[in-house]
Amino acid sequence: MKYLKFFLIVIILFPLSSINAEENDKRNKITKNLRCLICQGQSVYDSDSEFANSLKIVVDKKLQEGLSEDQIYEYFKTKYGEWILYDPGLNKNTYILWLLPILIFLIGGAIIYKSFIVKK
Amino acid sequence: MIIGLIIGLSLFYLSYKNFNNSIILDNKILSFTFLQLFFVVISFLCLIFSFVISDFSNETVFNNSHTTKPLFYKISGTWGNHEGSLLLWLLVLTLFIFLFLVRTKNQPVKYKILTLVFQQIIIVGFFLFLIKTSNPFNYIFPIPTEGLGLNPILQDPALAIHPPVLYLGYVGSSIIFSSVLAATSLKIISTSWASHIKKWILISWIFLTLGILLGSIWAYYELGWGGFWFWDPVENVSLMPWLALTTLLHCILVLEKKSILTSWVIILSIATFTLSMCGTFLVRSGILNSVHTFANDPERGLFILVFLFILIFLSILIFFFFHKDNDRKSYSFFWLSKETSILINNWFMMYFLSVVLIGTVYPIFLDVISSQKISVGPPFYHKLIIPFLIPFLLMMAIGPKLKWIKSQLEDKVYLISFLIISILLAFLVLKNFNQNILINTILISSALYLFFITLRDFFVKKYKNISQNIAHFGFSLLILSILFNNIFASEIITNLKVGETFENSKTKIVFESVDQKKEKNYNAIIANFSISNLNGDEDRFSPELRIYNQPVIATSEADIKTTLMSDKFIVINLVQNQDFFNVRYQVKPFMLWIWLSVILICFAGIVSFLQKRS
Repeated sequence: MKYLKFFLIVIILFPLSSINAEENDKRNKITKNLRCLICQGQSVYDSDSEFANSLKIVVDKKLQEGLSEDQIYEYFKTKYGEWILYDPGLNKNTYILWLLPILIFLIGGAIIYKSFIVKK
Repeated sequence: MIIGLIIGLSLFYLSYKNFNNSIILDNKILSFTFLQLFFVVISFLCLIFSFVISDFSNETVFNNSHTTKPLFYKISGTWGNHEGSLLLWLLVLTLFIFLFLVRTKNQPVKYKILTLVFQQIIIVGFFLFLIKTSNPFNYIFPIPTEGLGLNPILQDPALAIHPPVLYLGYVGSSIIFSSVLAATSLKIISTSWASHIKKWILISWIFLTLGILLGSIWAYYELGWGGFWFWDPVENVSLMPWLALTTLLHCILVLEKKSILTSWVIILSIATFTLSMCGTFLVRSGILNSVHTFANDPERGLFILVFLFILIFLSILIFFFFHKDNDRKSYSFFWLSKETSILINNWFMMYFLSVVLIGTVYPIFLDVISSQKISVGPPFYHKLIIPFLIPFLLMMAIGPKLKWIKSQLEDKVYLISFLIISILLAFLVLKNFNQNILINTILISSALYLFFITLRDFFVKKYKNISQNIAHFGFSLLILSILFNNIFASEIITNLKVGETFENSKTKIVFESVDQKKEKNYNAIIANFSISNLNGDEDRFSPELRIYNQPVIATSEADIKTTLMSDKFIVINLVQNQDFFNVRYQVKPFMLWIWLSVILICFAGIVSFLQKRS
């Protein structure tokens, strides 16, 4: 399999390429925000399935190409759809998702203020 | 086990009879309820028994058990599946109504009967559900010689007791629901009713908290990711009733003292049970994508959904027909008072609840409406919850110090000096970590603030409300440990062969050897590691890879060394077709404290429960 070969190469190259800790942290952060598509509700970071492992390698590669975090998310989004991102961006599909809780918070506050509290 | 089926049917009939007769004599009702409980217990025991003797003529047993399983897991397998767990639901439902009737002495008979009627509606609904879509006593012919086995990740001590405990909490909210409806329709919601129902709220709250804790511990060491909370839909579903119950618990205090906020208490009680039912629906229908989804079937989901709508409709009907706001004029508080602080608690809790609810449900809606799939994961919840946690923590420290009706803040000097100390301390702790320093400092200082204030209250004043004090202290400890756990965790992921060594500036991992082990229900590969850190401390770890035989599933068993200050966690995975093992080693500080603080919170609940009794 292609990915196995690739995996081997990565393992061999791993000590040589001296990936610093910062890059590792970045990879962990990114993979935590990607859903493992073939698993049941696991992130790529948590999973050890073949799919997740190959995705981890892709993330490494993209990082080495110098892509920023957002660019990598964008790349996965166009390739696999929004389903893969655990952190949905603010767009017309998710306005309700992001804003409704805050709206509820504000309305709740208004109700409490209006109906219960007497100012001196 | 055909007998079981007959019993189940007769039980169904009996509960109908019970339901119809419930307006008659008090004693008769009690004995009927007992009979009902008795039959449910019998059928439950029958199911356990058929699991123990591995009677594969029973479909449930066939699907979920195997002769080679240890006895303990044969028993726990009874509720480790859909049918059995629903029977457990039913058992708890009947148990609670029986206990309720036995323990409730000072309340009007009419109220007791009405509560019983509402509870019976729920019970009958579940009977129908059980018999129609998921009878645990279905018979298979010809009789298979061997069962299919239980999912191995469910074969675990924490998970074995997790469902019963969680269900006690979940279903316990049903009794609150029924009695609230009864009290509303009789218009007897008063301070005495509040202190009577508070006990029941506390019971289900304690069990729910414990249940969530057990599930979380299980996820921590069994799923093998080293996390303890994943914002997974099924976890959220258990968190939502908890949030509602906690809100209710605070709110009932106001009602108990001042006989106000009645409508709010009613709505909350209904919401709590509805959320529990919703949880069952979401989990059982399989529309959620979750690690915990083990069994699902659309037909079952539909049934629960319909039943849920009937219940909601019924409760709304009762609410609007019978409930009249008769205390309009007393609805105003001075801004600095206990009432206000409890309202603020309610406000924040409702916000957290709405975040979790919307985060869990919205992706389903979007999928149905526009067939677009999105995922809502941990970053969403963190972004929306963490900023609001800061004022919430501060309020938790100050709120309980306020008095009813109107008060002044005492000990201002202390309050301010503690705040400064907390901020300084938080800054000192985090000085060397440069990522997200601002938000972390603020978070830790507010948690520390709560920590110090509650600690001081505990020692300085002979504090009147000791359970509240302990609970808030426990909560501050929980938040602190979670924060430290997140910030100071370190992790090494690497691939190693037997005999190889991994070394970085802080840690040295030696992969020493591999053993094999054969057990009755699985074969295991045990890897032996020795890991040493800078100080020269050496630990030996032996994580396992298990291959269960029935069904054939490979799992990784983590090896965890728990100490007071940190957990060391190692888990291995086989890299396919190679000699390498994927090794993941994590150091997680304050892990133990997360569990301890939750236990402390539960303990506070128990203290409060016992206090009210005496």
